[in-house]
Amino acid sequence: MSARNAAAGGGDRVGGEPAADVLVEDKQSGSVSLPSPMTPASAAGMSVTMEMPRKRKSSVDNQDTKSASMDMDIEDMDESHNGSDGEDQHVKMKCFREPHSQIEKRRRDKMNNLIDKLSAMIPTCNPMSRKMDKLTVLRMAVQHLKSLKGSSSSFSEANYKPSFLPNDELKHLILKAADGFLFVVGCDRGKIVFVSESVTKILNYSRAELIGQSLFDYIHPKDMGKVKEQLSASELFPRERLIDAKTGLQVQADLPVGAARLCTGARRSFFCRMKINKICVKVEEKEFQASTSKKKESQKYCTVHCTGYMRSWPTTQLGAEGEGEGEGEGEADKQDSSHFSCLVAVGRVHSHSSTQVNGEVRIKPTEFITRYAMDGKFTFVDQRATTILGYLPQELLGTSCYEYFHQDDLPHLADRHRKVLRSKEKIETNCYKFKTKSGSFVTLQSQWFSFVNPWTKEVEYLVSTNTVISCDNSRTCRLGNKAEQSSTSKSSEDGKKSLPVIPGISTTPGAMIYAGSIGTQIANELLDSNRMNSSPSSGSVSPFSLSQDKCPHNQIGNNVPYGEATDMEIAGKSSSEEDAQGATFSGAESLMGENPQMDLDSVVGPGLGSDEAAMAVIMSLLETDTNLGEAVDFEEMHWSL
Amino acid sequence: MTADKEKRRAISREAARRRRRVESEVFEDLSRLLPLQQSVRDHLDKPSVIRLTLSYIRMHTLLTGKTGTKAEASHKVKCGQVTDGQMVRHEFNGGCGEEEEKEKYDADASEETNMYLRILEGFLMVLSTEGDMIYLSENVSKYMGLTQAELMGHNIFEFSHPCDHEELRNNLRVTAEEVWSGEKRDFVMRIKSALTHRGRSANLKSATWKVLHCQGRSKVCVAPSSVSCLLLTCQPLPLSHTLLSTQTFTSQHSMDMRFTYCDQRMTLLLGYSTEELLGRSIYDLCHTRDTNCLTKNHFNLCFKSQSVSGRYRMLVRGGGYVWVESHSAVIPNAHSSKSRPGANQPLCILCVTYVLRCVCGLWFKATFTVSTHFIELYLSK
Repeated sequence: MSARNAAAGGGDRVGGEPAADVLVEDKQSGSVSLPSPMTPASAAGMSVTMEMPRKRKSSVDNQDTKSASMDMDIEDMDESHNGSDGEDQHVKMKCFREPHSQIEKRRRDKMNNLIDKLSAMIPTCNPMSRKMDKLTVLRMAVQHLKSLKGSSSSFSEANYKPSFLPNDELKHLILKAADGFLFVVGCDRGKIVFVSESVTKILNYSRAELIGQSLFDYIHPKDMGKVKEQLSASELFPRERLIDAKTGLQVQADLPVGAARLCTGARRSFFCRMKINKICVKVEEKEFQASTSKKKESQKYCTVHCTGYMRSWPTTQLGAEGEGEGEGEGEADKQDSSHFSCLVAVGRVHSHSSTQVNGEVRIKPTEFITRYAMDGKFTFVDQRATTILGYLPQELLGTSCYEYFHQDDLPHLADRHRKVLRSKEKIETNCYKFKTKSGSFVTLQSQWFSFVNPWTKEVEYLVSTNTVISCDNSRTCRLGNKAEQSSTSKSSEDGKKSLPVIPGISTTPGAMIYAGSIGTQIANELLDSNRMNSSPSSGSVSPFSLSQDKCPHNQIGNNVPYGEATDMEIAGKSSSEEDAQGATFSGAESLMGENPQMDLDSVVGPGLGSDEAAMAVIMSLLETDTNLGEAVDFEEMHWSL
Repeated sequence: MTADKEKRRAISREAARRRRRVESEVFEDLSRLLPLQQSVRDHLDKPSVIRLTLSYIRMHTLLTGKTGTKAEASHKVKCGQVTDGQMVRHEFNGGCGEEEEKEKYDADASEETNMYLRILEGFLMVLSTEGDMIYLSENVSKYMGLTQAELMGHNIFEFSHPCDHEELRNNLRVTAEEVWSGEKRDFVMRIKSALTHRGRSANLKSATWKVLHCQGRSKVCVAPSSVSCLLLTCQPLPLSHTLLSTQTFTSQHSMDMRFTYCDQRMTLLLGYSTEELLGRSIYDLCHTRDTNCLTKNHFNLCFKSQSVSGRYRMLVRGGGYVWVESHSAVIPNAHSSKSRPGANQPLCILCVTYVLRCVCGLWFKATFTVSTHFIELYLSK
């Protein structure tokens, strides 16, 4: 940035751009006055003296500076003439720091740049291979403009205001940009008094079809109430709800309701759904219709954001005003009431979602957190899970995670489950597949750790941080899985064998329940181990001893008491699963046996009487399946300290 | 020797003066051809003349070139009422010399156009792909404090907040496919406004940042030269004194989007009581898939102080969700003490949320109790 600009306040200036010393014809800034004798040369100088209330004394100095440089192209002034005086002062100061030649050079470059751009736009200049000099380009520009003026219409220096665009062009551009249409509806019956042509692009109805009809015929039935309210003058909704922008609080209108609602200028803004006309026409229409929101065979709607004003005219004036109001507005309804009030609004099609352009905020979508109870049932699901899994949290809560794991992954995940229940560390799983709502599988990799209540020293829940693995990584994960499986081949095979392959395992409800109970089993093992650990005297009753050395295979024989408990647990489920349960159990057990990481010393449970404990275990087993996953039962179990 | 030099210098000075005079004359000619009022024209400097000429030519090219987008092409076939059609009509009328009718037609159009602009409460901006403001509607002075002639032809990057440049550039980048489908744009940006509180034009040096909501689409014309640009309507985002319908509610949040207040409509529409919501974050209430949308909204609020969210879903108590859109702004907290005017006022976020559609997404009744349970579970934490 140039030093001048830096001085002028840190880059909020147009960089070196010579100003348009245009006097503001603004309606608001009435304070800007225009001294009459103006020549182009002195314009720059004179504009320095344009009065703004906070005028500085240095203007005189600047004037001298200006007049001195009048021979050269003056425009050293910046965009806003109002700021120029201060700036010129800076220029004067800056003369010491920046040679004038630099300023000049910059100005010349800017000018040359503009000339180049101009020559690029002028058709006659374009084909010329060599660069043309400034004067020639300008002359050609003049020619070109003359030719343009000749062909297009309205730039005669006549009565009305000339503008860069013919007004109807502007109108079209606005409607195109806004993707909208203008409409005027009478307030009492919702009669469409006027609608602009662009409505055809949006709703597919022609103007003729719409004018004179009731707006309510074209609005979604559920939105009719809303629109009626916006149009109505009745006392149906007595409370005016306006917001004061400064305080953000609601403001009660001072005026009585009717008047306030209808007073000219009262602003309206609402969304409603409007019908789209389906006509069987040419191929081009299909593209248009495909872009509308609902894709049903029935009536299609698009959401339209309507903003506008209420206007009311006394009916006496309508005859005279009719023509003066411009296209179409004059077609007024003769009302009995003294005023014809209507809503003049622009309806813009509301795009379905905020358009996502590059550079938006990116959240890492590949991770989410879930929490399981000890038996693998979801007790908390991070909201991010929905984007990945397709389920809303409430759909997962209370269900066992095993229902979603792919069957190939069940053994190793069950193994991990066991591990984490007994370990204080974070346990990583390999990649596994998780079933999404749509039925497809997403590859995840998780890190589990168990949260142990420091007071009771019991595992309260498991926290799982799940990362989505993209397809490229899944290969390596697969290998990892295979390696893992081969190392524990015996156990996994046992495990696999002991999980009888039921045809259609992932889809039949029977299989689901079966899978879900894996978690329960694992949890129960832990409970039992806790119980056993705390009361070694009841070793005979327990299904397995918890000494590390002992091989758990002998304990299959002790299945019976547990089998009973298990039977009770699955009372009410199909009996065909009993065997499966048992088999699972043994299989799971064998897995556990292989696992040298039973750090049972870390699992310390408070002491329990054996009978009470047995009862409590049975009760908890009954409860486990029915509750929604809160770890209430385990706490209950241990309350009898 | 010196006399020679003197003479030579004198000659060169004369030549220079003559050149400048000629140049000035050409500039005069050019400016006379521009559709500007005399008073405006008189005060144009030379670069401005060129700027405005460029704008004029570019707009003309854009409007009379062959239609660019598919939608336009098909529409033309269907009802024959397009921009081009209008231009044709003009030429025809012009040739016949029905000046009066033409003028009246134009006056009507002008009235209509003014009405559009007034209703939209914004101005029209046409941006080239490099960011040159090719065209601005005249009412831009109401919003930026600078007139059409002062601004047209300049580059938007000179007037917009530096932190928004990245986003602007992304929006200007129009890929080949996008252009053909008339891709939409919707973003919020800050520009300089030289308006004082009382609405008067002030020094550009003391310009404040004004937040504008820009919506529009791209437009391209292929012949004679390929020109593509962005048509945008730029509106400031007013929150004040809009009559709110029954399907709209307001809420206030702390800057991290936790509720600090919400009105009763919220209870009617979504089922949550105020006590349930205070202290809860809005991210808890919304459908996960819309997190992106909300986060972007939040970012806009933090940096630009105003935002329009686009559609997103809010979860309803008891299951299901509704589609809503929020218009939000950062405002000084109403309860801050006024006795310390200089101190940093605590800010809060004010949201006006429009409910677009009724409750949907209640898939199966079985989850009804579960979801209530979930909500309660969640809310009790």
